[in-house]
Amino acid sequence: MASTTLRAVAHRLTTTPVEQLPSIASFLATSLSDCADLLSAPQTQKPGKSDSENAIQVHKLKTRLSSLLQDRSVEGRWTAVVLAKAMVEAGQWEVLRGYEPIVRSLIGILAKPDPVSTRKMCIITLTRIFHLTYQYPTLVREITTPHLPGFITAALNLVSTLVKLPSGSARKAKPNTPFMETVLLALLELIPRHPTIFRPFGSQLRSLSAEILGSQDVYFRGPVIDAAEQVFASLHKCAPKDKSGSGWNEDCRSTILSIHRATDFVYRAVVEQWESVDTTLVATRQNYNEELADPAPDALGLPAWKGIHAGSDRILTLLRILSDFIAMPSVSAVALPLGSILDLTSRLTTVTVPLEGTSQSGAQANPQIGREERELLWAELPRIHIACMDLLAHVVNVLGTSAIPLAQTMLEQVSWVFRNEKFSRDVRTASYDLLASLISLNGPAMTKQSMAPITSVIRSCCQDLLPTSTESTTPANTQGDSKTKSKAQGTANADSFLNPDLQKGRNQQASKSSALGQAASALLQSVLLSAPSELLAASMRAEIDRTIILISDKDAMLASVLNPVPAIKGKGAGASIIPFLARGYSDTVEVESLIRPRMPVIMTAPELDAQALAEEEDEDEEMEVAEHEPVSETASFLKFSTSNVVPAKSEPVEATNKRFRTYIEEPTLKAMPEPSENQLERPKKARIEESVHHPAPVAAIASTPHPAPVSQQTQAKPQASAAPEASMPEDDSDDELPTLNLDPDTDDDEEDDDVQMEG
Amino acid sequence: MLSESLVAATLSSAKTPTATLRDVGICVQELQPAPQLRATFKKSSAAANCLAVTASHIFAAQADKAVVHVYSREKGNQEALIPFPERIRSIAVAGAKYGDVLVLGTEGGRLLLWETCTGRQVATTASHLQPVTSLVVDPTSNFILSGSADASIHVWSIASILSFSKTALARDHQPTNSPIRTFSNHRAAITSLALGHSNSRQNIAVSTAKDNTAIVWDYHTGRTLRTYLLPFSATCVALDPLDRAGYVGYEDGSVQSIDFYRHSSVQHQLYDPSLQSTPAQVSTEERWLPPSAETGATQAVCVSYDGTTLLSAHEGGKVLSWNVARHKFAASTADFTHPVTNLIMLPPTGLPTSDQSQRITHTVIKPRHDTALSDPSHTSGAVPAAYAFNTHISTPSSPRLRKPTQFSEALTHRSFPDSLLDEGLAELATLRQPGGTEVSRTSPVTSATSDHSASAQAQESHIAELEEEVALLKIRAAANDKARHASVDEIVQLRADLAQLQDYVSELHEKQEGAQRDKLLRQARKEDRETKRRDAWFAAEKKGRNGDAAMKKMDIDDGMLTSDTDEQGDE
Repeated sequence: MASTTLRAVAHRLTTTPVEQLPSIASFLATSLSDCADLLSAPQTQKPGKSDSENAIQVHKLKTRLSSLLQDRSVEGRWTAVVLAKAMVEAGQWEVLRGYEPIVRSLIGILAKPDPVSTRKMCIITLTRIFHLTYQYPTLVREITTPHLPGFITAALNLVSTLVKLPSGSARKAKPNTPFMETVLLALLELIPRHPTIFRPFGSQLRSLSAEILGSQDVYFRGPVIDAAEQVFASLHKCAPKDKSGSGWNEDCRSTILSIHRATDFVYRAVVEQWESVDTTLVATRQNYNEELADPAPDALGLPAWKGIHAGSDRILTLLRILSDFIAMPSVSAVALPLGSILDLTSRLTTVTVPLEGTSQSGAQANPQIGREERELLWAELPRIHIACMDLLAHVVNVLGTSAIPLAQTMLEQVSWVFRNEKFSRDVRTASYDLLASLISLNGPAMTKQSMAPITSVIRSCCQDLLPTSTESTTPANTQGDSKTKSKAQGTANADSFLNPDLQKGRNQQASKSSALGQAASALLQSVLLSAPSELLAASMRAEIDRTIILISDKDAMLASVLNPVPAIKGKGAGASIIPFLARGYSDTVEVESLIRPRMPVIMTAPELDAQALAEEEDEDEEMEVAEHEPVSETASFLKFSTSNVVPAKSEPVEATNKRFRTYIEEPTLKAMPEPSENQLERPKKARIEESVHHPAPVAAIASTPHPAPVSQQTQAKPQASAAPEASMPEDDSDDELPTLNLDPDTDDDEEDDDVQMEG
Repeated sequence: MLSESLVAATLSSAKTPTATLRDVGICVQELQPAPQLRATFKKSSAAANCLAVTASHIFAAQADKAVVHVYSREKGNQEALIPFPERIRSIAVAGAKYGDVLVLGTEGGRLLLWETCTGRQVATTASHLQPVTSLVVDPTSNFILSGSADASIHVWSIASILSFSKTALARDHQPTNSPIRTFSNHRAAITSLALGHSNSRQNIAVSTAKDNTAIVWDYHTGRTLRTYLLPFSATCVALDPLDRAGYVGYEDGSVQSIDFYRHSSVQHQLYDPSLQSTPAQVSTEERWLPPSAETGATQAVCVSYDGTTLLSAHEGGKVLSWNVARHKFAASTADFTHPVTNLIMLPPTGLPTSDQSQRITHTVIKPRHDTALSDPSHTSGAVPAAYAFNTHISTPSSPRLRKPTQFSEALTHRSFPDSLLDEGLAELATLRQPGGTEVSRTSPVTSATSDHSASAQAQESHIAELEEEVALLKIRAAANDKARHASVDEIVQLRADLAQLQDYVSELHEKQEGAQRDKLLRQARKEDRETKRRDAWFAAEKKGRNGDAAMKKMDIDDGMLTSDTDEQGDE
C-alpha cells in the first residue's frame, strides 16, 4: 500500500504543472509521511524487486525535489520546501544521508527575494535538519559542520546588518522584519545542540539580542523579546568548552549585579532598609540633579537607558533572563546562586507601595527626590514584584523539595508584597501561583506561626473566586441616609437595574476561567491538601468550603473531603461537604472511588481464586447481598463501624466458634474446628433458624443507645444470615479454605469496647 | 525495556566470595526481566539501615568507622569518602525524586542533615539517649522518623531544621532543631521503621522493637492505631505498596505478613477506634518459613514494585524472594556470600513517568563546616550569599505552561502545520494576482523552455484579453446602433407627422380658397339675378303688367336657387 502511495506521490510531483503544486503540497506531504516506513528503511537491506522499485521512487522524489528547489517559479520552490521537511520527518536518518545538496539549495533560498512564508518555512526546515543531525556524528560531519555556519550567517542577514567594529563584528537589528522571531527561535533551538559551531557568532548574537532587549526607540513584539531573552540566556553555552559551567555562573552573576545596578537607580526615590548579605556588592553613585538614567552600558552589555519606565523595563528584562538561566537546560553542572537570588528578591520586594492611609512602608522617602518620581516608582513596583515572584516560582520548580530550606523566606516575601499590593490583579495571580507551589512543598510541616501570614491571602483568594453578587451592594445603599442615597442614585448604573443577570453572569465567567481564577483555585486546593487542617481557623475553613461549593470546584471539593476538619474532643466529627461533591459530580471516577471504594483488599493467588469462584456460585445470592449492601452504605465510616458490629455480636447468640466468611478471599491457616457435617445437609433449615434467631440480637442492640439508623438493622439481617451460609461448602476440610477467625475472647472484648464507646 | 532492580549492601565477613564478588560491598541486582548482577561497588561494609540510594548516588555508612562512602551510579565508581565526627548508625535520603538531603543518625543520638547539592550541614539536638539505629523520611519529604536503641521514636520536621528563616518558627521559644513529637509506646530498642506511601495526613508508620511488637501509628498525631504482638522480635519491616499489609522478618530467617485488612470490615481496620487499644496476636504458625536453616537471620525486607513479591536479605548472604499471595518461599534470587544487611528496591526503569527528572546531580558537595551555613543562630534569618545549589539542569522547565509557538509546533510537525501552509498559499495567491509579470519579476533569469511556455502563456492570456475586449466592444457597438436606430426612427416619424400636418394645412387652405371662390361666384350670380329681376321688373313695368307679379314668379324660381346657394354658403 505504502509503495503505491509513494509511486503516486512521485508521479504527481513530476506531472503536475509547477503552478498548481502548492495547492496539492499539503496532500503530498501527508502522503509522504504515510510512507515513513519505506523512506526510513535502510537501503542496504533491499534485495527484493519491490524494494529496488521503491528505492527508484525515493531517488526520483529526491531528484525532483532538488530540481524544484532550483525552480524558477515561486510556487515550485515553495512546494519544494514543504516537501523537503516532510521527507526529512518521514525518512529521518536514511533521507538525511543524501541531503547535502538540498541543504545547500535551501540555504540559497534564504538569500533570494522569495515570499516571506517560503523563507520562514525554509528556516524551520533547516533548523529541523540540523536538529536531527545532532544525534549522528556522520551526519554532523557531512551536513552540519559545513553548512550550519552558512545558515547562521544567512539567517542573521535576514534580520540584521553586519557592522565591523575594531573589537570584532557586531550585528545591528533591522526594524520591522517579519523573520526576527523565527530566526531567534531557530538559533535558540540550535545553540544547545551545536555550541561549538556557534562559538564564532557569540559576539554577534550577543550584540543583536542586547540591542533588541535594550532598544528604547525601536519597537519589538513580545514574542521577539521573549526569544531574545532566551537567546541571551543561552549564549553561555557557546563559551569555550573548558569554562562552559563557569560561563553560566559568570553570566548569572553579572545578571544579578546588573539588576542591582538598575535597582540602585530605579529605587533612588526611597532610602532602602535592605542590607545585602553579600559584602562584595557596592552601590552605584549617582547624580540626583539629573533625570533618572543609567548613562553607561551595564556588565552584560545592555545599552544605557533613561527614565523610570525604561529602568523598570530593564529590571524586568534582567529578571526574566535570570529566570531563563534557571529554567533552561545547562551544559554541565552549575551552581544556582540561591543566596544571591533570595538576597535580590528580598531587596526588590522590601520596597512596596505604601498602604492607603499610611505614608511609607518598607522604605523612607529620599528627600532629594521629588514626589512625582516617587509616585511613578509606586506605579512601577507591582510589575517588578510580579517578575520577582515568577523568578522564585522558577526556583521552586527546579529545586522541588530542596526548596524547603528557602520556603519560609519566600513565603515571607510574598505575603509582604501581597499585604500592600493586593489591589493589583496580576500581583494576586502571581502570589497565588507561588504560594500554591510553596504550600504543596512544605505544607505538611507548617506551624501556626508560618501559617499566620497567609490567612489574609486565602481570604482574598476566596473573594476572587466568589462571583460578585449585586445583592450585597444594594442593602448598603438603602441603609445610608438621604444625602448619600441621592448621591448614589445619581451615579448608579442604570443598566444594572434593567438587567441584573447580565453583570452577574459576566463576572462569574471572568473569575473562573481567568489566570487569576485558576491560580486562586490551585492555591485553595493545595491549602486543603497539604496544610494541616487543624491550623486553619474554623471560620476560615468554612469560608473556603463555602467558596468551593459555590463555584463547584471539583478538585478543591475532593481535597476538602479528603482532609476533613479534625474532630474536636467531645464534639464528634466535623461536617463534611461530601454531599455537595456527590450531588454535583457523581459521574466522575474520583467521586465514585471515594464513595464506593473497591481496593482489592487482600492479594490472592490465581489457584485460590478459581477455587473461591467455584464456591461462590453456590451462594451467589447471599454473597451479593453481603457485598452490595454494606458498600452502598459507606458514605460515613462512623456508621460503618456500627453496622459491622451487628454480625459479630449476633455470633455468640447462635453459635460460638462459628466462623463466617466474607466476600474477601483470605486464605489463612485454620485454627478453628470444622463445622459439623449436618450443617451442610440442611442449609435451608439453618437459614430459617437464623432468621428466627435474628430479631433478638438486633433488638438487643437497638435497645442500647446506638447511633445506627434503622436501615442498618434491616441490612444486618441478610448479612448475618449470609455469614453462616458461607461456611457451608467447607465439607472436605480443605485447609486452604478462605476463612476469617474471630477469636471468641477478643470478640467479647470488642463488644464491651463498643458498648462503652457508643454508650 | 522495563526492568526492575534492587540494591543490596553487605557487611564484610570472614567468608571469601567468588571472584566476581571480591571486595564488593554493594550490588545492583536486576530482578526483572532476568535475575542478574548489573553493577557492583567495592570496599563497603555496611550494617543494617546504613544504605541510601538516590537517582544519582549510593551512600553507605560504614560499620565501625565514622565514614560514609559515596558512590556515583552514573560513573559506577566511588566518588567520595566523607568523614564525620561520630559513627553513623543509620542513614536515609529526603527529597523524594532527587534525594538532595542525606539524613544521618549518629552514635551519639543526634541527626545530621547534609544537603548534598549545597554542602550545607545542620545538626539537631542529641534527643536520643542511644544510637539512632533506624531512619525513615516520609513521602512528602517533610518529616523524619528516627528510631533509637532507647526505645523512643522521634518525629522531626525537616522544614524547621533546615529553614533559614527562623523568625516565625522560633517564637514559641523551642529550639527549632529538636523533635516535634516523640512516640514512646515501645518498651525495648527500636529495630526497624517503615512508612506508608501516602502523601496525605492519613499516612501511617510501622515500627518494630525488641519487645516483640509491631506498632502501627499515625506520625502526624502520635496516636497508636494498632499493636501487633509478634511471636519473635522482628529485625526488619516493609510495607505493601498500597499499605494493605506489613511484612516483618525474624532472626530465624523467616518472614511474616501482618494483614491490616484481616477483618470483614470495609472500614480500614487501623482506623477502627474499637480495635486500637487491643493488641492483635500474630500467630507463630503463620510465618513463612525459609527453605533451610542456613539462611540466617532476616536482615532486611522489601516489596517489589507490583507488590506481589517480597524480597528478604539474610545473614547467610542470600536474597530470597517470597510469593505474597501464596504466603510461601518462592526462589533464591541472589547470593552475595557476605551477610546482606540492606535491600533497597530501585524504581523500575523504562516506564515513561519514571525518568522525568529536571536535573541531575553529578557530584555531591562535601559537607562544609561553615558557621554561616550550618548554625542558624548566627544568621539573621537571611539566606547567606554563599548558599549555592550545584546541579545540572537537564530539561527545560516552566512553572506556567508556555503556549506553544507556531515555530515550535512547526518544528516537530510531520510537515508543516496547516496554519503556516495556509499563510503561504495566501501569500502565493496575492503574488499571482497582479498577473504573470510579477512571477517573471521574481525570477529574473529564465531558461528557454520556461521562457517559451511563459511567453506562450502570456500570448494566450493576451488573446483572451483581446477577445474579451472585442466582445465587449461589440456589445457596446450594438447598443450604440440600437440607440441610433431608435433616434432615426423617431425623426422619420416626426418628419412624417410634419408632412401630414403641412398637407392638412394646404388642404385647409385650398378649401378656404374654394369657399372664397364659391362665395364670390355666388355673389356674382346673386348680383346677376338681382339685375335680372330688376330688369324683369322694369320690363314688366314697362309692359304694364304688374312688376310685383313678375317678381314673385321670378322669386319662386330664384328661391330654389337661392336656397341652394345659401346651403352652399353655409358650408
